[in-house]
Amino acid sequence: MTGRDRGTATSVATAAPVAGPLDGLRVELDVFDGPFDLLVTLILRDEVDLWEIRVSRIVAEYLLRLADSDDFDLEATSHFIVLVAALLEMKSRRLLDVGGPFADELDELDDRAAGEELLASLLRYAQFKGAAARLAERFATHAGRLYRSVPVPARFQSAASDGPALPARTLADALGVLLEEPPAPDARHITDIAVTLVAELRRLRDLLVDAESFTFSAVAPRDRVEKAVTFFALLELHNRGEVRLRQSRPFAEITVTRGVPTRVDGPAAWPTADDDETASDDALAVVG
Amino acid sequence: MDDVTRRVEAVIFTSPRPVGSDELAAACEERGERVNDALAALGAHYAAEGHGIELVEIAGGWQFRVASDCEAPVERFAGARRPDELSPALLETLAVVAYLQPTTRAEVAQVRGVSSEWALGALMERGLVEERGRADTPGAPILYATTTRFLELFGLRGLQELDDLERFALSADETDELRARLLANAERRRP
Repeated sequence: MTGRDRGTATSVATAAPVAGPLDGLRVELDVFDGPFDLLVTLILRDEVDLWEIRVSRIVAEYLLRLADSDDFDLEATSHFIVLVAALLEMKSRRLLDVGGPFADELDELDDRAAGEELLASLLRYAQFKGAAARLAERFATHAGRLYRSVPVPARFQSAASDGPALPARTLADALGVLLEEPPAPDARHITDIAVTLVAELRRLRDLLVDAESFTFSAVAPRDRVEKAVTFFALLELHNRGEVRLRQSRPFAEITVTRGVPTRVDGPAAWPTADDDETASDDALAVVG
Repeated sequence: MDDVTRRVEAVIFTSPRPVGSDELAAACEERGERVNDALAALGAHYAAEGHGIELVEIAGGWQFRVASDCEAPVERFAGARRPDELSPALLETLAVVAYLQPTTRAEVAQVRGVSSEWALGALMERGLVEERGRADTPGAPILYATTTRFLELFGLRGLQELDDLERFALSADETDELRARLLANAERRRP
């Protein structure tokens, strides 16, 4: 691919590959051997304007490669993301009115530094790519040479060990222990939460039948989670107008008073601002 | 052929791997310079007389090698096969390990921009790369280095024979163009 390709997406898959003599025989049929390979080739050899490249294509290509390969290197992929992000940021800054309303945010982002870092990575990569090509030349010249190959002398092939000799049965028994299934762990000490919202609602309503008011700490269970469920039930009753909640100051005792239900069914009615006897949701704090 | 030369020839003949001149000096109970002279004489002798084998210095030692025009019968006899080609990805990974060794998997991945776990595994299977301890940094990552076989396969006497990495740097023009395309273009497009 030569020349500039303005306006259209530079398709990574169809760009001229960095072909070696044995392309068809390689197991990994990558067009590019990595994002740096891609960038350096696209920029230098194919002379494509970097700013015309669709970064989405680069990312899509990388995702395809990730899907194909079995291993996932978090660090390498993170590095790739950082550099692609730097590239995106450089491109996107040009879309914004630099010096305008976004100037403050952009001051922190130094596109020059990001560009320099990307450049340094690409340059370093290019060096090793060149070194690899040179190694390929050496391999072609030297890899086929034959040297003396000698098997291990017979007297070393069956050397006895110096350690104590154990009967095979003993070793087998020892290994056998490792192959046994471990006993299933005892989960009897783990129990479900004893208190449910529905049960608490019923319990609190029963309490309200007998007593006109009570305090939260008098009716709340000891366990924190159960206490939270009770409090939630109280809030639900409060929303329905069945109770009025009062707390003199944050973290003080909460007094629950029987109220007049505004609704039996349907969505709960929130207390209005002028109902100052009823504590607002903000002021309520669970004791303990 | 003098006595020292004959003894050096005998030791190298029996060795399945390159023999260093120190080892030869110890085995032959001779001083280093005598051994070096003997090696030079031996190499010259084999070359001059047109033998089917030659003496070469490789992978940190000396070894006999089959002359290139005699490889075919040896391959038929020994069933030897030329080692499989290395893909560009493997060569790249190998280059990074060779120049930066001892190095970690993370460093290799950082240079290449892609995960190198598979490549390192493949290179280890081929005996070109080996594990060599762990780094002293948090996480104690495994360190990788090239093997003697790597030197043999690539015709290197030692790592010092690797071409200088600077030689492969992009030219000043290419670097400037790369930089310009990454940064200056942004300026040009400023509204």
